[in-house]
Amino acid sequence: MATTKITERQRWDTLHKNGPFELKLFLSTRLEKKGNMPSSIDRYNDAATEIRKLLREALDKNEGFRAIGSKWSMSSIAHHEDRMHFNSFMNMKFPILASEMHPDSDYLQENLFFLQCGNQIKEISLYLQDLGKSLKTTGASNGQTIAGCISTGVHGSAIDVGSVQDYVVGLNLIIGPDPEDVIYLERHTKPALSNVLPDKINAKVIRNDSLFNAALVSLGSFGFIHGVLIEAEDQFLLTRYVRKISKDTALELARTLDFKNTTFKIPEEVDANGSPLRPYHYKVFINPYGNEDKYVVEALYKKKFDPLYKEKHGDPIPFMKEFVYRDLIYLFIKISERFPKAIPKFVKALNNTILPSEDEKIVGRLSEIFWDAGYQGRAFACSFGVDHKDSVKALDVLSQLTKDEGPIPGIFAMRFIKKSDALLAFSKFPFTCMIEIDGIQWKKSNKLMSLEEYTKRMIEVLKENNIPFTIHWGKNADWGFPKLAEHMFQDNVEAWMKHRSALLSKGMAKVFSNNFLKTAGLDHYEENASEDLIATIT
Amino acid sequence: MQKIKIAIGFLSVLILLSCYSTRIKVSNGQAEPDDTEREDALSGLWVRELDTIVKVKTITDENPINIRDCESGALHTVEYKSTFGGILLYLVTFGRKRTVKVKYVCIKESN
Ligand SMILES: Cc1cc2nc3c(=O)[nH]c(=O)nc-3n(C[C@H](O)[C@H](O)[C@H](O)COP(=O)(O)OP(=O)(O)OC[C@H]3O[C@@H](n4cnc5c(N)ncnc54)[C@H](O)[C@@H]3O)c2cc1C
Repeated sequence: MATTKITERQRWDTLHKNGPFELKLFLSTRLEKKGNMPSSIDRYNDAATEIRKLLREALDKNEGFRAIGSKWSMSSIAHHEDRMHFNSFMNMKFPILASEMHPDSDYLQENLFFLQCGNQIKEISLYLQDLGKSLKTTGASNGQTIAGCISTGVHGSAIDVGSVQDYVVGLNLIIGPDPEDVIYLERHTKPALSNVLPDKINAKVIRNDSLFNAALVSLGSFGFIHGVLIEAEDQFLLTRYVRKISKDTALELARTLDFKNTTFKIPEEVDANGSPLRPYHYKVFINPYGNEDKYVVEALYKKKFDPLYKEKHGDPIPFMKEFVYRDLIYLFIKISERFPKAIPKFVKALNNTILPSEDEKIVGRLSEIFWDAGYQGRAFACSFGVDHKDSVKALDVLSQLTKDEGPIPGIFAMRFIKKSDALLAFSKFPFTCMIEIDGIQWKKSNKLMSLEEYTKRMIEVLKENNIPFTIHWGKNADWGFPKLAEHMFQDNVEAWMKHRSALLSKGMAKVFSNNFLKTAGLDHYEENASEDLIATIT
Repeated sequence: MQKIKIAIGFLSVLILLSCYSTRIKVSNGQAEPDDTEREDALSGLWVRELDTIVKVKTITDENPINIRDCESGALHTVEYKSTFGGILLYLVTFGRKRTVKVKYVCIKESN
């Protein structure tokens, strides 16, 4: 039997110490040993029974229950003061069999994989690699869990691919303590599985696009995500270039994403007519305090897989990876709290270590390019999504704020993502530009505003300048800003809450809520939500 | 007095030089995670520690220290620490007693 270790706690914190937060019970479930239960499906179902039992306990005690992944989110989205459940050891992986495919499915059977929630991106990549497959995109690093990724909408800068949730084609949710609370959900317009696998995992099947799109970016609040069906693809290589290019060109590309008619050209990355190819990934790094006329950009191009790539181009993973000495950063921050004017100088001094350096082209798999992150200590990250057409204006507004009312110890970057169908995906524009500021936490002083004030001002200036925006759910923001969710997602907010109310009982909606949801104004429960919202559409 | 100062200075340099740690990790493995509050390079990982003194007998060869608690049967990271005390012990026992101070992280069990 799967077993759960329950520990009494006083507090809990995110990986980057964005709390601490109060906590009563910390739960961590381990699967039954393979030797004791050789059938994988039995072990999976056994884990589901354990989760239902834990949900029963939370419900009976009128307490909240929050599943967590790797706690990489910097907002309080993963926190609940009652019960938090660490999923990471629930990491089973299943290939999909031909007999499990839906007869109308457009997906290739060999590309579908059913992953238990606690699988981390790195282990998934390693598993797929052995089968000649790859994830389509990931974030900049690989430690998050698959369920954690889709719950906030993790993205990289794969312009024409989308975010992690965009290659999820089915969800196995546990929405309550009873056997009938196990659900397999997929789109009715793009079915992937027949009822064979859902039957094996004792799940009730719902095929419904709207419900699926609501549950996809769920903020941890649409039930316990037990399993995720993903679509992978054949393994591929990426060639990575880092270049310093004129600021105007870098920003023009951000605004237009027109890579064909640009002066930014990598000689090896052109088509038959000599025009630049459209990269798989484009990222711009910006020091808000510099007056440089050049920006560092990173461009990656997708290539057919070549098993001899390491022999030809060297190992993409460095023998030793250098990270900025943490104590040095903390020292800078301590000085900055008293002498904020020093921040721009510090950021400039660290430029060469924080920003990637122009170097030889690197060739590697997706999982090797977006590899392990070194622990950078007490960090913050703010991340705003805007239509890429507004990206230059938004960057200008946000960096002006940072200079005028800051300075803030961080640097900016821009990444680009294709639109997601998920109702609450921050990648809601046809191409969303994520403008990010990452840095090290500081303490408010009489000369330096707090992170809370800064994040509030960012929202205010974007609104004042009429720039539609969204915010990354897993990053720092003034989540209590009045009517923020409605401002970002308009009608989708109500639709999301309606679907949630239809799917969850009132009691379970409470169990799966948390302060983050309340603060963001997303916890409303509609008593009479229509049953049609959760019906299979044929 | 002068001599004592020189001796203390010499000792301090020795202590500094003899204390170091080296971390080795595999690049193609998933480290075992944990929910901890640590704030070092191993933050977010399940770190186990081995802090012992190994006695080496003259008639036996060195025996390996068996690590039994990695469910996956594989190591992800090993951090070896050399301390001044350890070196001193090694010297005064003519190599028969050795301090072993190792932190390690297992590979996450695959399922
Ligand atoms: C070093 C670092 C790099 C990062 N890089 C990127 C990046 O490149 N791109 C990007 O978009 N973000 C990035 N982030 C942010 C981070 O990836 C996201 O916040 C992500 O959601 C964290 O995943 P996690 O597994 O740690 O989940 P957690 O942070 O633990 O949880 C996130 C949400 O998922 C929910 N959840 C987790 N498991 C389940 C489950 N089984 N059922 C229901 N709900 C569940 C939680 O309740 C919570 O609401 C980065 C963060 C760090 C620390």
